[in-house]
Amino acid sequence: MRILAILLAAASAAMAESAAFEAAEKAFSAKDYGTALAQYETAIKAEPDNMRYASQYRMAVLAQAKALHPKEGTPADYDRSIKFFETLTAEHPAAAVAQLNLGFAHVDKMPAAGAITQVITANTALGFFTKSIDARPTWLGYYTRGNSYLFWPKIFNRAQLGVNDLEAAYKMQKTGPNKPYYIRAYISLGDGYWKTDQLDRAKALWKEGLALFPNSAALKDRLAKDGDDLKAVIEDTLDPNKRVDTDLKELWSNP
Amino acid sequence: MKRRFLFICAVAAVPVGLLGWQEASAIKFEEIGKKAGVQFRHHTRIFSGPHADVLRMFTSGGASAAAGDFDGDGLDDLFITDSDKGTLNRLFRNNGNMTFTDVTDKAGVAGGNEPNTIVADALWFDYDNDGKEDLLVARFGTPLLYHNEGSGKFKDVSKATGISRFGNTIAVVAFDYDNDGWLDIMLGNYFKSVNLLEGKDDHVLPNDLDNAINGGGVTLWHNNHNGSFTDVTSKAGFDKHTGWTLDIGHADLNNDGLQDVYLACDYGTDRIYFNNGDGTFRDATEKAIGTDTRKGMNVDIADYDNDGWFDIYVTNITDEYMKECNMLWHNNHDGTFTDVSKETNTCATLWGWAAKFGDYDNDGWQDLFVVNGLRSGSKDNYIPVLLDMITKPGVDFTDVRNWPNIGEMTWSGYQKKKFLHNLGGETFKEISGQAGVDNEADGRGLAISDFDGDGKLDIYQANADQNSLFYRNLSTGVGNWTQIDLRGTKSNRDAIGARITVVSGGRSQIQEVNGDNGYAGQSSHVAHFGIGKTAKIDEIQVKWPSGMTTKVPAPPMNKKLKIVEGQGLVAN
Repeated sequence: MRILAILLAAASAAMAESAAFEAAEKAFSAKDYGTALAQYETAIKAEPDNMRYASQYRMAVLAQAKALHPKEGTPADYDRSIKFFETLTAEHPAAAVAQLNLGFAHVDKMPAAGAITQVITANTALGFFTKSIDARPTWLGYYTRGNSYLFWPKIFNRAQLGVNDLEAAYKMQKTGPNKPYYIRAYISLGDGYWKTDQLDRAKALWKEGLALFPNSAALKDRLAKDGDDLKAVIEDTLDPNKRVDTDLKELWSNP
Repeated sequence: MKRRFLFICAVAAVPVGLLGWQEASAIKFEEIGKKAGVQFRHHTRIFSGPHADVLRMFTSGGASAAAGDFDGDGLDDLFITDSDKGTLNRLFRNNGNMTFTDVTDKAGVAGGNEPNTIVADALWFDYDNDGKEDLLVARFGTPLLYHNEGSGKFKDVSKATGISRFGNTIAVVAFDYDNDGWLDIMLGNYFKSVNLLEGKDDHVLPNDLDNAINGGGVTLWHNNHNGSFTDVTSKAGFDKHTGWTLDIGHADLNNDGLQDVYLACDYGTDRIYFNNGDGTFRDATEKAIGTDTRKGMNVDIADYDNDGWFDIYVTNITDEYMKECNMLWHNNHDGTFTDVSKETNTCATLWGWAAKFGDYDNDGWQDLFVVNGLRSGSKDNYIPVLLDMITKPGVDFTDVRNWPNIGEMTWSGYQKKKFLHNLGGETFKEISGQAGVDNEADGRGLAISDFDGDGKLDIYQANADQNSLFYRNLSTGVGNWTQIDLRGTKSNRDAIGARITVVSGGRSQIQEVNGDNGYAGQSSHVAHFGIGKTAKIDEIQVKWPSGMTTKVPAPPMNKKLKIVEGQGLVAN
């Protein structure tokens, strides 16, 4: 009887959480950001490690910021999600996805911030990506942190750290079936090799990637270019003034 | 798209010969500072106490140059500033043959770097309309005003000015904001109003590195017509600005006949103020340019695309570790501006300082020379050290004790200067190396003038803690030109704020006489127009600050012309 009650309670919570998420999605579609954000928060609190909930929540914050203010919004527009994930991760420090999304919430804020605040924010985000990996090493954790290191100018000597993480992600993806988003590691790790002056390794990896993803324009572009042209492509990819796409839809829709 | 269409139409209207000639001109400069006798080594202020190193780093400006004709001989002379304790500013008299004579001692204008003051900028202006250029020396402290007594002598009249309010002044402009015929003064202050040299307050640095609001703002001083000035900062509407002002630019930005103001602010938002015409200004920042988080270093104003409206160029910081981009604010003719720096190739000039418009090849389009570089030291780089500090959680940036010493390290040093050639008002091409001005000094101020009267603009570059550079313009195949020296009678005698329109070859160019636009450097009051291969000037129009208009039809070309308010063209 007691087990049944627990199961019923769990089912009821899951239904409530699911209902909150559905309501959030509906409100997001209707651009009712206030309702959407509140409902997403309800859903995430019930399931802190739910990648889809967290990602959609941040996308709603981003959409609201752009709706409220021109271009990228103001830095304050992003504080709600940062505060929410800070509280969530304090309550659930082992929630790797929540930690990761706290880092992403900082990354989302960067285009709205000034140049020096961007540096501070990027560094803060790295700390949460590390906490996520510490809590549970995942492909996404290594890829995200590794890719983040690559955005740092050479003067900070972080490119090799990026290569190390991206190699860890690459190893992980080699152990199972191919997934559409694995192309990201091929691109980024190659970029990391380029940034650490290992052009041959970069080209070899991009070729390997192209064999798996033959329609990839990004890989074709890199393989077709050399010298300053290749540099321009990679620097454009790693331009800190451009918004980084942190939408995790590709991952949660391809589990 | 509309702008591009208009440009194509404008180009179609320009004689073919002009465009062909553009390709043929060769912009070239030769550095002759030592030979000319104006090479001068600047010294930044050395502080005492445990945080001397950090304060020296934050106050590493002060290398300024002001071009002005103090002796009325028709040639611009040079006043150059120094900044360390006891060091002396210099006044160089132009001998007319690209050599200069140091006349500082006779003039009595060397002082200003006292134990508790730091010289930071200088300005020639005729504050009493007596026909002689007086000299204001801006300081971290109170400014010095030297009255030009004639015969090469100056008298310190600072006490009589009434400008006794302390400020860490790094920029100064003179303009007649109320069009009463007398020049007023605006001082741009960097740090808040505490004397850094006393070392009593450790919390003197920016409270935020992108949105600081604890700087010195500006003060505006109204000329009382009797040698004194009254503080009208609050009355005019500037008291709410508390940013880290690094430079001030003034011009009639909305073509209403009144002088407006642009403030370039370090660590945060630049400000634009439109003149209401009743002694007050309105802060139009949000609508006109929006809120920026960049490190505004310099303001210069010109009509780079010859559309009859002034545009604004602001340098910021663009380097490996910080990609801010400069701002070239294109005037939209409706009180708003659009940044077109990326589209015009004027975005990335490294750690920017002064930038000056000038038609250096007389093709009828305003080029840009931009200096850069903070500190060229050892091979060790300060940036990674700085990163450790700024990413420390909860660090108080205002506290000088939290900033690591820089020692001999380099910070954005050894940067090549940028000469940007205006290609028909649509874009710019960097030709620094070809022009011979790609030096790697730690540049600060620029003074532009045709020092030798050959019809080509020369450049004086002041550098921090280094020797200055003096570039003689040796460009070949350049176009025709005219130079216009205005004398106000009802308007202020320097004619600052007067708008000159030169009509030639089916197009118009505008310039205004300005009172020290551009960081740490004053260019000539004589307006220089290139007119390309066009065979004649159709007309010169002057709209004086008083509202009076002077028209000079078919003036002679390739000459310096003198136009007096109410009299028209007069013999030089």
